[in-house]
Amino acid sequence: MERVNEGAESIMYETKIAGVPMLIKFRNKKLWRIDKIDEELRERRTRKEAKLLIYAKKAGAAVPGVAAIGKYSIFMQKVGGKLLKDSKPSAHDMQTIGRYLALLHANGITHGDFTSANILLTKNGPFIIDFGLGVFSNSEEEKALDLLLLERSISKKDYANVRKAYTSIAKDHLTVTKRLNEIKKRGRYQTRTLA
Amino acid sequence: MAVLGIESSAHTFGVGIVEEGRVVANAKAMYKIGSKGMIPREVAETHIANAPNVIQEALKEAGMKFSDIDGIGYTKGPGIGYCLHVGMLSAKTLAKKLNVPITQVNHGIGHMEIAKSRAKLKDPLALYVSGGNSQILKKYGESYRVLGETFDIGIGNMLDSLARSLKLYPAWGSTVEKTAEGGKYVEMPYTVKGMDFSFTGMLTHASKMKDRKSDKDICFSVQETAYAMLTEATERALLLTNSKELCVCGGVAQSHRLKRMLQGMADEHGITFGYAEDTFNADNGAMIALMAEQMLKHGIKTKLQDCTIEQRYRIDEVKLWKE
Repeated sequence: MERVNEGAESIMYETKIAGVPMLIKFRNKKLWRIDKIDEELRERRTRKEAKLLIYAKKAGAAVPGVAAIGKYSIFMQKVGGKLLKDSKPSAHDMQTIGRYLALLHANGITHGDFTSANILLTKNGPFIIDFGLGVFSNSEEEKALDLLLLERSISKKDYANVRKAYTSIAKDHLTVTKRLNEIKKRGRYQTRTLA
Repeated sequence: MAVLGIESSAHTFGVGIVEEGRVVANAKAMYKIGSKGMIPREVAETHIANAPNVIQEALKEAGMKFSDIDGIGYTKGPGIGYCLHVGMLSAKTLAKKLNVPITQVNHGIGHMEIAKSRAKLKDPLALYVSGGNSQILKKYGESYRVLGETFDIGIGNMLDSLARSLKLYPAWGSTVEKTAEGGKYVEMPYTVKGMDFSFTGMLTHASKMKDRKSDKDICFSVQETAYAMLTEATERALLLTNSKELCVCGGVAQSHRLKRMLQGMADEHGITFGYAEDTFNADNGAMIALMAEQMLKHGIKTKLQDCTIEQRYRIDEVKLWKE
């Protein structure tokens, strides 16, 4: 088993099970908080993330398939490819991303950290990864935040293609857009993207 | 250069004097908070009564005369309007009388800068936790960015309200910390969204428990949960910004438990963690003087007639200079 990445709350390992490459997302113990809070949070979040992945796939979006769920770990399909932030996507790729986002939202799933660092471009098209901050929600605010985070992390041209596909599918795109514009007017969000 | 700074945003009227980045005086007088919390008019009246004495006390502590002061700074905000006013008027009077430049300081930046200076850090990520504020801050270029913050009330405000609801006196964070010793954990709502957090849900939940659970268990659980939330949000910000240094500042930075958690988290990532002494974490004039001196040295001053207060003066509105 090889450690491939370490995030704020989890470690990713790569391994092979029956010859098939797999990724394991393991939520590691944090010694600074008391055990009860630590174990409860890790267990609850692992389950929720696995559930989000499964429902996202059912909704029609391309996400890594879940192979097994442990107490603090998710075994999932390794999709490969390159992160959107490090690649040159085609218009078709961006429209597919917009379509996936609309499908997720229509099925009550919001991603919570929908940036170019959480989308992979593979030979089978884009894949959306890392639902660690996702929630089951139909709120316009959450949906608008997904769009906002993506807009901030990609070029204008790419975002225009995302919007095109998103608005053609999402029935509530007008109210979401209205909320998006409200959020942009709030002072704090103008100053929150990183340099 | 010797600069006198006046802080009066909440219950403390503080006067500090800083000479070339060195704190030479830090005098303060506090409004005594009773069971009703802070009553703005009463706090302001207390400040008015204390102001002359505290200013004299600071000069005495520094071994200086009025004529030794080369500049004045005061807290423009955020804070309680009535209270800020007292500080502003004192500062304007002094500046006019002594004929020295005056500058307006953001309270939160004062907290962050003094922690940076006392802990000898260069470019830290800061967790700023006090009564009214709870924010994760980092300086980019000439201004500060708020990376994460509370959706509702500040952590200090939450702890004070909890103490009042449990009838613990004096009603503030350190009493909660003392009461929490040896408590057992009962589940509390844990609300972190990315790098933002929320405290009102926990306050309501905890207050409703008071007939069923002991004060000890409630205080312990609230404290552990709230500090774990802050530490988690800070950890995420640390990894996102790739910071090598972390500091905690503001009134709640006096909490031993919070500092221990942050230290543990910083150690896991091999990051330097620092903070100021308690007297500089509670509201104080020295931090305003320290920041005012730097601002005056960079030529940031305000005309007397343009001096104002702003109750909701946000940190990310302030334009400073590039390091």
